[in-house]
Amino acid sequence: MDAASDASQNAHGRIPACAGVGLRFRHHHEVVEGHPPVAWFEVHTENYMGGGSAPAYLDAIRRDYPISLHGVGLSLGSAEGIDVRHLARVRDVIRRVEPGLVSEHLSWSISGGVYIADLLPLPMTEKALTVVCTHVDEVQTCLQRQISIENPSTYLRFRHSTIPEWEFLAEVTRRTGCGIVCDVNNIYVSASNHGWNALVYLDALPPESVTEVHLAGHSVRQLDRGQIIRIDDHGSRVAPPVWELFEQALKRFGPVPTLIEWDTDVPALEVLLEEAATAETAIERQRHDNQSTYAT
Amino acid sequence: MTTSPPTLLELQSAIRRDLLGRADGAASEYIVPDGLAPQARLAIYRNTASSALLGALRLTYPAVQALVGSEFFEGAARRFIEQRPPSSAHLDSYGESFPDFLAEMPEAASLAYLPDTARLEWAVNLVLHAPDGKPLDLRRLEQLDEVDIRAARFLPNPAARVLGSHFPVDVIWHAVLSRDDRALADINLDAGPVWLYAHRGASGVEVDRMAQEQYRLTAALLAGRPLHDALGDVPDARAPVWLAHLLASGCFVDVCLSGQIPRRTTGRQVT
Repeated sequence: MDAASDASQNAHGRIPACAGVGLRFRHHHEVVEGHPPVAWFEVHTENYMGGGSAPAYLDAIRRDYPISLHGVGLSLGSAEGIDVRHLARVRDVIRRVEPGLVSEHLSWSISGGVYIADLLPLPMTEKALTVVCTHVDEVQTCLQRQISIENPSTYLRFRHSTIPEWEFLAEVTRRTGCGIVCDVNNIYVSASNHGWNALVYLDALPPESVTEVHLAGHSVRQLDRGQIIRIDDHGSRVAPPVWELFEQALKRFGPVPTLIEWDTDVPALEVLLEEAATAETAIERQRHDNQSTYAT
Repeated sequence: MTTSPPTLLELQSAIRRDLLGRADGAASEYIVPDGLAPQARLAIYRNTASSALLGALRLTYPAVQALVGSEFFEGAARRFIEQRPPSSAHLDSYGESFPDFLAEMPEAASLAYLPDTARLEWAVNLVLHAPDGKPLDLRRLEQLDEVDIRAARFLPNPAARVLGSHFPVDVIWHAVLSRDDRALADINLDAGPVWLYAHRGASGVEVDRMAQEQYRLTAALLAGRPLHDALGDVPDARAPVWLAHLLASGCFVDVCLSGQIPRRTTGRQVT
């Protein structure tokens, strides 16, 4: 990418099909002062609501980098409807940041007027599908833009679920026109926890809808009877089998914006840059493979 | 065993009750055991949610945590979270009633200054995260004649708060966060009340001490009392200087001549 097209991309804030890094508070100053070689950053929308120093830092960073907004609080799967005050806060952040991508989760967090601070799993039913699609429509109408929905990592399944999660997510995309954030670590974690075939999951996602890929570390917990359960804690480097699954994702989706996420015990920025470089190498390899394919 | 599948509303209500520690077993019945008890599966979510809220409270109340110790703080915070969970995902606004909760805890009764220290931290949190307000352009005041001035009310900057306390909570707060043991040892809890003004300064949130009458004037103006009335309530020769100080610190974002200015809580006055 030459300097002119680079500047043009930044001006529009479009997220390039390169590796990006999840921006956390501890790296604000370093990014503003040091201008690290990162193609784009993603932030949690909820961390930039209101004013003060955090949004001011993001304003400064936004001048030099495309920004993606990733929310955790819209509770798209809540039976009680969308929290319109929270949606208004999201809209205000979007107006300020002018992000290249806006995303949320296939999950719920609000019940009985209480916010439960986690991304809770939905029953995979027709009713839940209708609720999610209604809320995605509502959000996209309010924000006047496409949002993307991330597949969750889950630790339980409901007895009355009737639709495979990958089909559920693909159907949300088909009905609402939303994009998909394909979290490859989440697919690996959920597939491992529930005995799913991760490749079947990837194959079910429409490639043209995948706007972004997420990569992160997870932990492994040993249970009493020798079983293991994988926990999506974003507290370590990307695991080797997740890198392998990422290669498979790239083969299906082509080069796509790919984020390194790290939220627990956030390390030095250089560690995140190393992970991003690994992702970038894989993206470049896929880009080269695609060009070779077209050339023959 | 539940015979018919729950509605989405029923399912989410059952899970909410379970995760908030009011389990009645309903949520477990909806979950496939699959080699691991439903309760163990739900516990993963409960731990994540509880840890996230505990982290939010730790960020807002670092001085309280330092005063009572990490273990006590975690116990108090977890009880608070169970009894008063947040209503939205905007966690910067979570924990307003934590100071009152601490005041009601018998185990914390020996630390009489703890609730007001927490109230100061809440005020600092509000100042830190308040929407950015452009300070009032003083030329707006120059354009007002004497009649206008009598009716003028100020629109407060959301990042300006006042607080009164029987205890020197500003010194406690600063000494604890800067780990200044000597300053802590020198604190005289019986030195009399303090009147505080929290606002954004050049280097972040600043907490200034005020005279009691200065505090009264500031609190009245922040609450939307007309300038003329507020000055009349505080017959002190220093009032014009205090007003100039407030204007210079960006305490107000606009001035209105008529109509209602939305009132807002400006802090707790300890009398």
